[in-house]
Amino acid sequence: MQYNGAAVIAMAGKDCIAIASDRRYGLRNQTIGCEMQKTFQINDTTFVGLTGLMSDAQTLEQKFRFRTNMYRLREERDMSPRVFSNMVSSLLYEKRFGPYFCEPVIAGLENGKPYLCGMDLLGAQVYTDDFILAGDCTEAMYGLCESMYRPDLEPDELFELVSQCLLSGVDRDCLAGWGCTVHVLTPQGVTTRHLKGRMD
Amino acid sequence: MGDSAYSFSLTTFSPSGKLVQIEYALNAVASGSTSLGVKAKNGVVIATEKKLPTCLIDETSMQKVVMLTENIAVVYSGMGPDFRVLCRKGRKAAQQYFRVYREIIPVSMLTRELAAVMQEFTQRGGVRPFGISLLLAGFDHNGPQLYQIDPSGSYFAWKASAIGKHMVNAKTFLEKRYNDELELEDAVHTALLTLKEGFEGAMDHTNIEVGIVSADKKFKVLTPAEIKDYLGEVE
Amino acid sequence: MLSLGALDYSPRLAARHREELDAPPVEHELLGGIGLPDPTERCDDAHDVVKMVHGTTTLAFKFQGGVIVAVDSRASAGAYIASQTVKKVIEINPFLLGTMAGGAADCSYWERYLGMRCRMFELDQKKRISVAGASKLLSNITYQYKNYGLSMGTMICGWDETGPQIYYVDSDGQRLHGPLFSVGSGSTFAYGVLDTGYRYDMSFDEACDLARRAIFAATYRDAYSGGTVRVYHIDVDGWHRISEDDSMELFFKYKAEKEAALAK
Repeated sequence: MQYNGAAVIAMAGKDCIAIASDRRYGLRNQTIGCEMQKTFQINDTTFVGLTGLMSDAQTLEQKFRFRTNMYRLREERDMSPRVFSNMVSSLLYEKRFGPYFCEPVIAGLENGKPYLCGMDLLGAQVYTDDFILAGDCTEAMYGLCESMYRPDLEPDELFELVSQCLLSGVDRDCLAGWGCTVHVLTPQGVTTRHLKGRMD
Repeated sequence: MGDSAYSFSLTTFSPSGKLVQIEYALNAVASGSTSLGVKAKNGVVIATEKKLPTCLIDETSMQKVVMLTENIAVVYSGMGPDFRVLCRKGRKAAQQYFRVYREIIPVSMLTRELAAVMQEFTQRGGVRPFGISLLLAGFDHNGPQLYQIDPSGSYFAWKASAIGKHMVNAKTFLEKRYNDELELEDAVHTALLTLKEGFEGAMDHTNIEVGIVSADKKFKVLTPAEIKDYLGEVE
Repeated sequence: MLSLGALDYSPRLAARHREELDAPPVEHELLGGIGLPDPTERCDDAHDVVKMVHGTTTLAFKFQGGVIVAVDSRASAGAYIASQTVKKVIEINPFLLGTMAGGAADCSYWERYLGMRCRMFELDQKKRISVAGASKLLSNITYQYKNYGLSMGTMICGWDETGPQIYYVDSDGQRLHGPLFSVGSGSTFAYGVLDTGYRYDMSFDEACDLARRAIFAATYRDAYSGGTVRVYHIDVDGWHRISEDDSMELFFKYKAEKEAALAK
């Protein structure tokens, strides 16, 4: 799980969520690029962040697209975040004995309320109502999140908090950083910002 | 596909473009006992005659209105054994959906699954079409729904429908009685009256079966005592 | 042994015991008789307890104006960044610099010890030790401790009677003399810049800039290098600290320069 390096964080606010990731793509110690997309919008209310082996992450993202598109065609509606995370979970467990080396983080608005779900590489789900972290600097980020998190933050406060937690976290991690991307999802829509980070 | 000498499809087109096997299957449905369904504003009711060939059979051992999931039930007209096969497949499809999404299957999805099975049996080698039509009643995020599936695999959503021996008369009756503002209680009454129209002999709480799906998204089969009460209200 | 005991960890001695040692015992006399680490006390699992700084970029090269030494400042334990402000240039004496790559403790301990030995040489011989001599002292030590798990890759740089000199010494006991070296996980990236821009007749400013850019390139491309870029210069008067720049600031400075050049 430390081959490519990644850091993903998702947090719940007042009727909004934020999900953010770093932008590094590397091969062990070697930094290849710093425009890697690690968070993906699945539909109007659902985001997923993928850490771990980036080739598996990209394959998974394509599988998610396939399954959510088929679902939308069949059922004429979008998957809710909860249904999506259940689908991801069963998709991962299908490969129980040859898993995708990926730990997804799912964040969205379920009937207008924040929904957060984390998962291990086999699909065991963890639900929280504050924040979820994944990647290889979770220890560093947990400390910040635990001490800085407050419930019911407004979207702009949530953006600030998520950004600070992620930036400070990746500053203690060799394998993540090189800039960040932050999405804030509210019932009104999505705002996406790229953050300047340390480039070492 | 099977690999025996008989594994070719038994349902073959006639020169005029008909699949006579499917028409025969519809004949089997048309000779089955009448079933009907009525959709109300806040629920769905399905009902059927439970005609026994002889009074020596214990009528309590027979069940024609069957639950597929907590919120979806089905009734049939035609050949009972064929119905059991579809019941099993329907329940399995519903559970497989639940396993993936941890959410109950929508009525339309289950209808589609069953219709796909019935269609496949009109095309696959070594099998014959199902000799039944189904009425599927359910309540999900889209509200109350009533679907009819025929042996060909075609399906439709209905406000009220009937299948089986007296379907033509029953439908005419339903057309007269139906309106969009129907409450579930009224729908049960309508269903019973419609059933009574075509009933040969005396209809009572022992020789019919009624199931309702109400707004709490729960299905239940009415007990003979409950049917008796409803019949009393209809009188 | 003490430190391991303090970790509530029962040490298992290496299978080899002092009397059965197939390698010659450490000459305490030669090493000065003070409490030097005894490799026979080595414990099998010590490696798991002692976290190493494996990621580093260091470089040194000779040019017409002397020697330039440049290093990054990151200390890592696995993927975790333990510090961004490590001093990886060890000032052995006013004419000798040692760089640090590999185990932080190994490098700093043995180079400080080397400083002591160099001073003793001066007192004995009434003249400064040559860079060749100093590096040989160190390589003799690393050779004696070979296969006992030391981890260091260092450059001993200085100015002696023969002029500017650079020696590469590592924990395998290897000792190399040369005009240009780079050591550490980011060395490949640094070499890329260094080999492209290197000329012996560079001016002082060009040499400092080249060293800085080479270390910066390594902090950018190498996950285990980062922090500040420190540059030292050695001339006939000994070493001088030239600059210390945050690699973050260098990134945006170089980026702006690049964009300005493209705009023209």
